[in-house]
Amino acid sequence: MTELLLNAIMNGILLGGVLALLAFGMNLIFGVVKIIHLAYGQCVMLGMYVVYTLAVLMKMPVILACIIALPVMGIVGVLLQSLVINPLLKAKANPLTQLLALAGLTIVIENMAQVVWGADLRGINIQLPLIHFGNVYIRTSNLIAFFGALLTLLGLYLFLNRTYLGLAIRSIAQDLDSARLMGINPRAIYYTTMAIGGLLTGVIAAFFSPIYAVHPHFGGSFTLMAFIIVVLGGMGNMLGGFIGAFIIGVVTSVSAVLTSTEIADILALVIFIAVILVRPQGLLGIKVSK
Amino acid sequence: MRTALLLIILTAFVVVFPHLVQSPYLIHIGTLIFIWSFITTAWSYMGRFGLISLGHGAFLGLGAYTTGLLFNAYGLSPWIGMLLGGLAAVLLAMLIGYACFRFGVIGDYFALVTLALGEVVALTLIAFRDITGGSLGFTLKSMGTSLIAFQSEEKIHFYYGSFAFLILALLVWKWIDRSPMQKAMRAIGEDEIAASTLGVGIIRYKMIITMISAFTTAIGAVLYAQYITYLNPHTLSGVPPSLEIAFKAILGGMFSLWGPTVGTLLIVSLEEYFRVVYGSTFVGFSQIIYGLALVLLIIFLPKGIYGSLQALFQRKK
Repeated sequence: MTELLLNAIMNGILLGGVLALLAFGMNLIFGVVKIIHLAYGQCVMLGMYVVYTLAVLMKMPVILACIIALPVMGIVGVLLQSLVINPLLKAKANPLTQLLALAGLTIVIENMAQVVWGADLRGINIQLPLIHFGNVYIRTSNLIAFFGALLTLLGLYLFLNRTYLGLAIRSIAQDLDSARLMGINPRAIYYTTMAIGGLLTGVIAAFFSPIYAVHPHFGGSFTLMAFIIVVLGGMGNMLGGFIGAFIIGVVTSVSAVLTSTEIADILALVIFIAVILVRPQGLLGIKVSK
Repeated sequence: MRTALLLIILTAFVVVFPHLVQSPYLIHIGTLIFIWSFITTAWSYMGRFGLISLGHGAFLGLGAYTTGLLFNAYGLSPWIGMLLGGLAAVLLAMLIGYACFRFGVIGDYFALVTLALGEVVALTLIAFRDITGGSLGFTLKSMGTSLIAFQSEEKIHFYYGSFAFLILALLVWKWIDRSPMQKAMRAIGEDEIAASTLGVGIIRYKMIITMISAFTTAIGAVLYAQYITYLNPHTLSGVPPSLEIAFKAILGGMFSLWGPTVGTLLIVSLEEYFRVVYGSTFVGFSQIIYGLALVLLIIFLPKGIYGSLQALFQRKK
């Protein structure tokens, strides 16, 4: 039993790394563009289909397929900004309307995937060795995803804190009007943010591809998971999202071993509902002014 | 006067329709439209006052499963089961409603809490697979044609039955319109804080409307389950059915009496048209168009199709 638990905790931590990346992307978009990207998991799914198409259907090396998926998903992010989010911002839609429009978008993306790639499971089918420390077994693909996600997060941290563009993005997130007065063009920053957010879905897709097989409804659960983490950590709070990802990763993974995967997901959802009701500012408790 | 005439013609058309076309398929589509219109109208009881729920699948699942399980296990008549299922939905609505309204969860946050709730019910139905049949769902015991078992081998029975239910749902809408609740809810929907300073009991009114909506939705789910005689957690709860209910109502226009019905009519017809014309390989295709239409409508016509037309005509007068 202790071995099982140890394995579960280990897997939870490894999963937490990728979830942190997912939550980071959603948080960034919420912080800057002020939109709850309800189709974020679906974008990851799209990225996985891109990897599948390149690697399996066009027989490219998997690494190359993953690398090509990044700019492709970046472009998808820019397209979303110009086709969906810009019109929403222009129409001065309230947050609820924005939420519904993006929920409608999930239907479009999921069914597009079904028409193009079919309803079956699609995986890239590569075998990576299993590593074990004593009785704790770890899949190499999970390990790669974990360290890859941490490296990506480190890169994003440096980008947001050390470069001019990164600082411009953060200033827009903090105070739109002042940033505008300082000569920053919000529209350009919105596009950049959505491009980075899209790029991130490509990165996550690359890490997920060796782990999961993708199907048209793959994205929904990850959107919900990412959103649960974002709320748990406090909307727009990057550090909170990072910690929240590991909490949710470990809690779901351990409770899945103890009970069943459904009960684990129910637990995560109940945590989510409770946080929104009782502590909407998130665990770290930094109030984001609306 | 003109509206009354229009209504009589419409009702006459619905009644005569099955005898005109003699097609079981078209009668089936008509029945589906009535049942889902009933459910989307129930959803709009709340939606029209700014309480946008993205988790009505929770009430669908609870209503249909309570009724279906009691019938299969104990042979309890669905007519009684329906009331118990509705009651279960009301209890859940009270729980989540009180929590949300007490803590002032409104707008997009309310939508997200309900979205999670719908998923919780779906996962619960799957998790207790020993009782509910899990992801595979279960079939109702067949009783042939029996009024007590609320089953029929004749499609026409369900066609007229669900039409009668739809009329009831529309009458409830009218009843809400005339009750003092309507004014209070409208004040709350427009400006919650202002309404509370004027002494409107916000929590109480919101609770009542949520409970009515939950109960009616659960009844609609039973109607659907009795017609299809098969219950599945993915078609009766969780995110996709919850979103579909909301979207049908929004597309038609949730602020007007006929809006949800018009929205359901359009979407069900569109889906069936694509299924028939392009075959099952293109099932996703109709959904893409439907999704795109939704996104465009939400951005450019927030009142929905019927609501916008209505506004247009009223301006011309």
